[in-house]
Amino acid sequence: MTDNSGESANDIAPRAVGAAGRGRLAQSARVAAFLHGSRFLLAVLRVRPLFAVGYGIVIVVVLCAIFAPLIAPYPPETANPDDFLQSPNWRHLLGTDATGMDVFSRIIWAPRIDLTIAMAGTLISAVVGSLIGAAVGYYQESGGVASFFSGFVMRSTDVLQAFPVFVFAIALVAIFGQSLQSIIAAIAFLNIPIYLRLMRSQVMSVRHMRFVEASYVAGTSDRAIIMRHIIPNSMAPVLSQLSVNIGWSVLLTAGLSFVGAGVVAPTPEWGSMIAMGFQNIITGQWWPSVFPGIALAVTVFGFALVGASVEVLADPARRRALVGSLRERPVQEA
Amino acid sequence: MSGNPSGRMPVSRRTVLKGTAAAAGAAMVPGALKMSEARAQDRASTLVIAAPATPQILDSEYDVSLGTFEAVASLYDSLVEFEKKPDEGVPTASREDITDYPDKPGRVNMVGKLAESWEVDPGGTWARFHLRKGVKSNWGNELTAEDVVWTWHRKLALGAIGGFFANTISLKRPEQIKAEGSHTVSFNLDDPNPLLLKLQPNLYNPIYDSTKIKEIATDDDPWGKSFLENDSAGFGPYRLESLVRGQQAVFKARADYYRGKPAMDTVILKEVPTSANRVQLLQGGAVDIAQYLQPLEIIQLRKAANVAVETIPATFMIWIELNAKIEPFGNIDVRRAMNYAFPQEQVIKAVFQGLASPLTGCMPDIYPGFNAAYWEFGKQDLDTARQLIVEAGYADGFTTSLAYNAGDPVQEPTAILFQSALREIGVNLELKKVPAATFYNFVTERGQPMIFYVDSPWCPDPGYSMNLYFHSKSFINYSNYENARVDELIDGAARTADMSARLEMMDEVQKHVMKEAPWVFGVFPNYTMARAADLAGWTYYTSNNMRFQDFHRAG
Repeated sequence: MTDNSGESANDIAPRAVGAAGRGRLAQSARVAAFLHGSRFLLAVLRVRPLFAVGYGIVIVVVLCAIFAPLIAPYPPETANPDDFLQSPNWRHLLGTDATGMDVFSRIIWAPRIDLTIAMAGTLISAVVGSLIGAAVGYYQESGGVASFFSGFVMRSTDVLQAFPVFVFAIALVAIFGQSLQSIIAAIAFLNIPIYLRLMRSQVMSVRHMRFVEASYVAGTSDRAIIMRHIIPNSMAPVLSQLSVNIGWSVLLTAGLSFVGAGVVAPTPEWGSMIAMGFQNIITGQWWPSVFPGIALAVTVFGFALVGASVEVLADPARRRALVGSLRERPVQEA
Repeated sequence: MSGNPSGRMPVSRRTVLKGTAAAAGAAMVPGALKMSEARAQDRASTLVIAAPATPQILDSEYDVSLGTFEAVASLYDSLVEFEKKPDEGVPTASREDITDYPDKPGRVNMVGKLAESWEVDPGGTWARFHLRKGVKSNWGNELTAEDVVWTWHRKLALGAIGGFFANTISLKRPEQIKAEGSHTVSFNLDDPNPLLLKLQPNLYNPIYDSTKIKEIATDDDPWGKSFLENDSAGFGPYRLESLVRGQQAVFKARADYYRGKPAMDTVILKEVPTSANRVQLLQGGAVDIAQYLQPLEIIQLRKAANVAVETIPATFMIWIELNAKIEPFGNIDVRRAMNYAFPQEQVIKAVFQGLASPLTGCMPDIYPGFNAAYWEFGKQDLDTARQLIVEAGYADGFTTSLAYNAGDPVQEPTAILFQSALREIGVNLELKKVPAATFYNFVTERGQPMIFYVDSPWCPDPGYSMNLYFHSKSFINYSNYENARVDELIDGAARTADMSARLEMMDEVQKHVMKEAPWVFGVFPNYTMARAADLAGWTYYTSNNMRFQDFHRAG
């Protein structure tokens, strides 16, 4: 925190020693802070085990994405017609699909695509939406052209958000062509209004704070005020939204693939796998679509839990309540 | 006595799940329950069909969609039809006898429909049809020679699908079709044409009730296009009772039909877009026929007690167009390599569950003149494919793309299997999934290096088939295949009625085409009839559609 957070013990400590020891002290202070933070996080996870489940799921999914080539027993895009539609067995743990591709291997590979699309789309929307939202919020009440422009941006987002999200996404992919970049662009475009609104509402309250006014009186430029003081102090709700949005974007990516507007077959992607296998459910071969469906549901659930935890930790009041409950816990247990 | 003391049906978890699934299934298909109730009332004379689509435009001049085939076949009749015979593999089914009969007029085994007799010039320059007397249309007007003349004038004037047929039999001017008395009509050509008789039974050569259409015609619409889009004026066994597009079409049997009223008094063609739902409805007894099912569904239905499944060789062909105007497919070696690499056997086994046979030629193998001797690709041979690619100058391989129809569930797995096979010879195949609604635009634009195509020539004649797909000027030669000798042979076969000479010419065409491989030769999928066990009378037609008038309840 920069202006209004006050000084912590860790900030004061370096001043009390000589210049030579200052670096070492700072480093050990950071280590201490990290350990303190880690202990705090572990304590929180003990109190809220669902958060632990969320982090666990997300970590597993990310590890799958990184180490897929080492974990998956079969290539994810190579058909093997001799093994088509095999039910789960020791050779193919989750069975095979209609072309003989190993369902387990494809599920392990899928996060590479799903997470890449979801994270890239969400991050782009968060950056763009936050910047526009900060500018809109800052100039909203300033009058003149800037104020008019802010109003215009907000009404434009109203229009954008009036469209059904999924249909709008299909239309965007149809216009720009079916590619990874198009899907990322569609997700980013659809999420921008969310971050824009979050940031704007936050900025509208932050911009009236003393430190902002002080900075303005000191002659700091608008751009510097927004970038150095306002945005860093308005990021909390944006950060808590990120995780939820990544989960939602994974779902949207899968939905687009399911209707044929997402990734191209046979790219391993959960929605595409469900689409390829759902016709076989009626004939008894449920595994090509049910297992990717479960993977998708669990992943989205995991990101939602992580989002919920960030929401609690980023909100000072709820964080204080949580710390309170942590202090009471040993007494209650005793 | 049952072992259940309460006398109630035992309720287990499985029973509850089944009941829930059935209720969910019924809820997924609007009107399914209502449909079941209606059927119970008069099942003996009511035929309910679960179809992927209802008819769109009822005018055969402008629509070739699935539901329209069935509608046209029941609302209209043609002059003649092929004699029927029992299918060799499935005795409970009949099929058209399309054998080449050198001793019969036009070398075909035909029987009269609207025409009771006919004469054909052995030289193929004229044909004369004597019409039945007393045949009434669904509007009560009697069939006359004028109806036949007007029908062909309409084809010439509108120049759409009928225009193609007129051109195929070398009809160029209206005066070439003459009424020779009230019930005799003749076709008189400038040049000999071998298809003058053979094309008459085509599903899309129906005869219209010209009296009715002239009544409703206007100056702006002299050929009754608007009327025929939504209603009918024909001499077929059924009349249209109602049509709600996207929901259902209802047909009523005509008591005054000249061949006698069909056994099925009411036919309901219900739109059920998802094949899985069509399977459920047939298994549950809510419909009598489920059309266009997936291979695995057909296999599953074979186990159902109340359902009969018949699957027989048909005229359908599935292939991949190799666009000769887009590199590297201008190179014959590359095209041949693609065929050697195609995993035909595995596709038949894994994708079609054995309900197809290898496409070993460039026309339906059940048509006269088909020659499988030119098929050289046999089983998948990646070594030969690799060698051909190297000889063609692509030692490092190449990247190309294959467009497939998202609405056809067999195309995607076939494409994936092909992609895996090509990867082994250094060819990177990118798959392009095209929505069903725009897929045929992609095909007709001829802008894709490779694209799936499914078709069947509706006239059992080798010259007709070859002309459609391999003449350089044909509008459905989507592979842009060009061979001057092939054009010459096809043109020659279209100008002579000497069937022996034509068969020789078409044999040579097959030799050239198979050697130059403008397609990746896929499969001949079977035609499958999935029906209620007590429904009898099914006949297979080369147009791959059913005709309601063939069916009756057994026993």
